[in-house]
Amino acid sequence: MSGHRIAAAVIAAAVALVSPTALAHHSFSAEFDSNKPVELKGTVVRVEWINPHTWIHIDVKKADGAVERWMIEGGTPNTLLRRGLNRESLPVGTEVVVDGYRAKNGTNRANGRDVTFPDGKKLFMGSSGIGAPQDGKDPTEK
Amino acid sequence: MKSHRIAAALLMLASVVVAPAAAQDSRKWSPPRTPWGEPDLQGTYSNRTITPFERPANVNGREFFTKEEVAALERSAQQSGGDEGRTKGSRQDVERAYNDFWWDRGTKVTTPRTSLVVEPADGRVPPLTDGAKARAAQESKQPAFRGVGASGGRGTDSWLDRSTFERCITRGMPGAMSPTAYNNNYRITQSPGFVAIEIEMLGGTRVIPTDGRPHVPSRVRQLMGHSVGRWEGDTLVVDTTNFTDKVLYRGAAENLHLVERFTRVGPGEIDYRVTVEDPTTFSKPWTIAIPFITTGEDLFEYACHEGNYGMEGILSGARQEEKEKAKP
Repeated sequence: MSGHRIAAAVIAAAVALVSPTALAHHSFSAEFDSNKPVELKGTVVRVEWINPHTWIHIDVKKADGAVERWMIEGGTPNTLLRRGLNRESLPVGTEVVVDGYRAKNGTNRANGRDVTFPDGKKLFMGSSGIGAPQDGKDPTEK
Repeated sequence: MKSHRIAAALLMLASVVVAPAAAQDSRKWSPPRTPWGEPDLQGTYSNRTITPFERPANVNGREFFTKEEVAALERSAQQSGGDEGRTKGSRQDVERAYNDFWWDRGTKVTTPRTSLVVEPADGRVPPLTDGAKARAAQESKQPAFRGVGASGGRGTDSWLDRSTFERCITRGMPGAMSPTAYNNNYRITQSPGFVAIEIEMLGGTRVIPTDGRPHVPSRVRQLMGHSVGRWEGDTLVVDTTNFTDKVLYRGAAENLHLVERFTRVGPGEIDYRVTVEDPTTFSKPWTIAIPFITTGEDLFEYACHEGNYGMEGILSGARQEEKEKAKP
């Protein structure tokens, strides 16, 4: 094994150990059920731009035509405000796709594990250079 | 020369290169003064960092990351929001919560040190005393859970079973001065005889007198303790005691004693250090050093309590699960 390959392995090991663990303000696993994943496609009817967590209200049209209202939990709005985004950045009527987990209390609440536009683009990520970490899911990141 | 020795030499060389620039800056640069002649620490700062809190085992004995390791860590933080390592339908995945655009844990190694813990030299929090271990075993008998961390608790019977962070009360000290996944922002304002530190996460302001007054009597106990400050050269030294028994920071409560040191080491950075001491809890004192980097941005309100639907969701979710289990 050459010297630089050993060095690279040492670095990779160091990085692997210190990868950040994200923790929200509260335990999401106490609030949402990992056995109840949901996929929702709906339109934004209201955004509660509040701390400690933002809630996006959406109307979801079911197969039988009936409309269900869901509340989707997000992070603190402070992070987005700091990047120049605000409650107007997600106008009423916007179509979104939510991949998340349903609340344990059985209400129409879910956490927004991944919230995207129907074409796969992430919310709030339309313009580059806002300093948000990338995860490669948004096609414009690739 | 064998290849592993070459690698070791390269790593050592790189650590020398990234050794603390801050110390050199402080010799060249003289910090500004307030109109009344005290060192001027005023401004808004962020202490977000991806530098680990304690030294990871595989960089044992090494105080600094190499330049290559720093680059790799920062690259990894840029990409950390990916699906890699996430298993759908797992508790871990639910705990990960949401897209990375909501997070602000930083993508920079703000100090190339391998740990924020700088004392003791091994970069780790010293072991708990036997007394602290015995207290931890009795913790379930307390009327309320006293832990300060996120995603924690001892059950879901009551909000009193959840951590003080989830309850929007406090992250404890020095938790409130330590970085987390977002809202790592602080504003320092001074007037003659006082320094005020606003904390964005959970809100709240520490008002620290620097006029030489003593601590309040020991019967007065506060969640954030009682702080008095003094100037030592260009450094603000803050001594904090009078903590309550209602919150636990790593097992320490009412006997906690903190000494913080704020030193401006350049136009854009405060070197912040806090020494944590409690002989009833830690086998020896220990010190954390965290860079506070100027942001020039505003602070935003964090009205945690009024929007804390999460607590309602946690407790009502537990009641629903009980009902379902009780069904014949």
